[in-house]
Amino acid sequence: MEDYIVEFRHITKCFPGIIANSDVSFGIKEGEVFALLGENGAGKSTLMSILFGMYQPDAGEMYVKGQKVKFHSANDATAMNIGMVHQHFKLVDNYTIAENIVLGMEPMTRRFGIFPSVDMDKANKEIADLSREYGLEVNPTDLIQDVPVSVRQRVEILKMLYRKAEIMIFDEPTAVLTPSEIDFLLKIIDGMRAAGKTIILITHKIEEIKQIADRCAILCRGKLVDVLNVQDASAQEMANMMVGREVDLVTHKDPAHIGKEVLNVSHLTVENEHHFPLVKDASFSIHSGEIFAIAGVSGNGQTQISDAITGLLPIASGTVTLNGKDITNASIRERAKAGISYIPEDRQSTGVVMDFTLAENLALRRYRKEPYSRHNILNFDKIRENADSLIEKYDIRSGQGGKSIVRSMSGGNQQKAIVGREIEEHTDLIIFVQPTRGLDIGAISNIHSQILKERERGAAILLISLELSEVMQLADTIGVIFGGELLKIAPADSLTTNEVGQYMMGVREG
Amino acid sequence: MNENKKKGLAGLLTSEKWANFTVSVLAIVLMLITSSIMLLVMGKDPVVAFKSFLQGCGMLPKASYGGGSGMLSDFFDYLNILAPMLLASLSFIVAFKTGLFNIGISGQMLLSGFTATVMVGYIKDLSPWIAKPLVILIGIVVGGLMGALIGFLKYQFNIHEVVSTIMVNYIISYITGFYINSKYVDMLTRSSRICSPAARLTWTKVQIGGVSCNIPLGVVIALLCAFIVQFIFSRTVFGFELKAVGTSRGCARYIGVNVANSMVMSMALSGVFAGLAGVTYYLGYTNTIVPKTLPGMGYDAIAVALLGNSSPIGAIFASAIVTVFQSGANYMSSSIGVAKEIASLITGILLLFAACGEYMKILGARKVQRDEEKRITARQNAAASPGDPKAGPVGGDKEKGGNER
Repeated sequence: MEDYIVEFRHITKCFPGIIANSDVSFGIKEGEVFALLGENGAGKSTLMSILFGMYQPDAGEMYVKGQKVKFHSANDATAMNIGMVHQHFKLVDNYTIAENIVLGMEPMTRRFGIFPSVDMDKANKEIADLSREYGLEVNPTDLIQDVPVSVRQRVEILKMLYRKAEIMIFDEPTAVLTPSEIDFLLKIIDGMRAAGKTIILITHKIEEIKQIADRCAILCRGKLVDVLNVQDASAQEMANMMVGREVDLVTHKDPAHIGKEVLNVSHLTVENEHHFPLVKDASFSIHSGEIFAIAGVSGNGQTQISDAITGLLPIASGTVTLNGKDITNASIRERAKAGISYIPEDRQSTGVVMDFTLAENLALRRYRKEPYSRHNILNFDKIRENADSLIEKYDIRSGQGGKSIVRSMSGGNQQKAIVGREIEEHTDLIIFVQPTRGLDIGAISNIHSQILKERERGAAILLISLELSEVMQLADTIGVIFGGELLKIAPADSLTTNEVGQYMMGVREG
Repeated sequence: MNENKKKGLAGLLTSEKWANFTVSVLAIVLMLITSSIMLLVMGKDPVVAFKSFLQGCGMLPKASYGGGSGMLSDFFDYLNILAPMLLASLSFIVAFKTGLFNIGISGQMLLSGFTATVMVGYIKDLSPWIAKPLVILIGIVVGGLMGALIGFLKYQFNIHEVVSTIMVNYIISYITGFYINSKYVDMLTRSSRICSPAARLTWTKVQIGGVSCNIPLGVVIALLCAFIVQFIFSRTVFGFELKAVGTSRGCARYIGVNVANSMVMSMALSGVFAGLAGVTYYLGYTNTIVPKTLPGMGYDAIAVALLGNSSPIGAIFASAIVTVFQSGANYMSSSIGVAKEIASLITGILLLFAACGEYMKILGARKVQRDEEKRITARQNAAASPGDPKAGPVGGDKEKGGNER
């Protein structure tokens, strides 16, 4: 038997209606980067939650450092030097970075030799040292609410390091990052491997695995398909194993049939509550049958553009015209009625009502229309039928079908539900913000083909994505945003990935 | 579900379907145990005490009755308190489902009761067929306007509804108190003068089967309202949107619901029920207003709503139980010689346990998990030593939820 630092033996875990893990056995060696590859709902996160003590397996055993263990809570796992960065960060927004990191194990001092208090100076210093040691630059006294997502992730990593984690679990760490931030993170992971840490990476992005991981376990629908050495396997092979069938890694795109102008945005300016402009004088138009993609690094005003078009944010100046009708001051509902569907960036707090059932969520665009309601009385039979057909069409997986509470579903399936609900409205303008964030290859290709089908139908599509590859693959026209300004608008085939990347960094023409 | 039955109390606490019901029943059982201990410490027989509560509200026969009254008259008096209690808890539920906390039910009750008393209750020679509907209408309008005001303050000036309702409660209490003391006071009782029988929402001294009863109109209104609220939230577009605003304001906005409008509407509706509670309380049950005193019922109603799992139908049962202690308190006090404040104490204990619902669910989940582990180890042991197949699970299942407390 090999010397494993973590070993799973015949782990099985069931949830109502779903077998999340079925008889999974494999081992992870000390000091390697081990990837866990699988589709949404394949059981990756569940397995790691078991390792981190958040769930108990129904059957099977777990060995850590050669010792049989049974974790009752995350504290037990932390005591065994296991740390985890969750997909959704668990940080206190109005605490500083240092306060978040030391929370729960604060260095103590006695003020005037009597009153016990937290030694923040010491904490700040320790964290500054720690962040320098691993190249994770942070300012310990910044508030979490003021720092971008990538820094929050560094805080989570530092939190693990501060707790002396030897085995570090990353749940989809790159899902929220920009391309350059991803490179940076992969370098950090590489550095930690060099420092002797064991890294477990949950992901469904094969190129990252190729880049960083030593070995990789592939899960498909709760079962272990194979454990392989990353160097020996091709990307296509891994993709096929993960989905359980042959997949197309390249999307086929027919030439565009550009029609009449659907959306016209003219000199749009959006301000925050302190009258600081987040979008500056942006002008563009989208035609029927055209995919207009806005590329840019996260936080440069992309979501403010989409929120302003849909009415979620007030417009400071400029006009928005849909099909020749000025909707600059229309209400959110009037705009939706006029023909806008919107897949928002924040799915959990905007896209769905987490405590409603899947069927109710799938009816959110329709419940006011017949036959889903008549004279203000809801018809739940129709709402259920609607849900069943969307669940089938978009392969939305959940424990109890339409009756499942959305909160209990995986993030990827929540996203599929939102995308399905919005596309099914077949409106003139569809706005996709990060439509494939956190989704696996199978679901991504499904959504991409749905987007292209809508384009074929003649919809005008605004795509806002942080994935440059997605932009390059789908767009007919690309607008690059930097600091709230649209620096460049050009047909997609006239730009190379490198050029777009340069504009994203704020390089101006001339 | 069979599976849940097998797992006993802990299973019920973790099952989606039964958890809330189980928590409420458990709260009642725990309340009975705790208050029994309390009564025993005072040297009283708890069985007699609880029996006298039921006797006091006409659910069990008393040993003797005063002239002209009987068990039925006690029961109607009980219903007379039940009506405002149920209406007040409905008021809380409506706001709560929209994510708002209406702590101003007392004030809304007081103002609508006061307005109806002054405007209708003191008019002489008014036909009851005009007076009673007018009283109900005033309750609806005054309560609704007060609720809408709170909603408006929140939407226009972003004043949190808890802060504004507490402030408004004081304002109402002192203003009505001032007018009662200066204009409408009964010099003998120091309360407001009683209102005319025509305006009262109770038919007094009706003879049924030889006993004199006060038949409350309010309880019919209250039950009707409970079903209306249930219907609004389970079947209508309006209720669906209110619930969406209550659970995810961001998503409600995104699908085009006018969130500000919904909050004002919800507070107004909540106020309507508080107003109805006010008129059934002041013109049905008490028939007079004690100046500068907010009705405690406005706060008890919050807890009643929680005991009923913020469901209107649940609130019917919860208010029926809590009212037993309020309505039966006098008789209990005189028959076993314990101060009647013990009734409020018992209500408080009940509500305390009801508020611990989430904790009980966590305990249940832990218990289920422990049982699960025991079964797994037992199975593994059994697999290791096939000679002794039923090693652990029998013992593990035996100690159901009994030691959960």
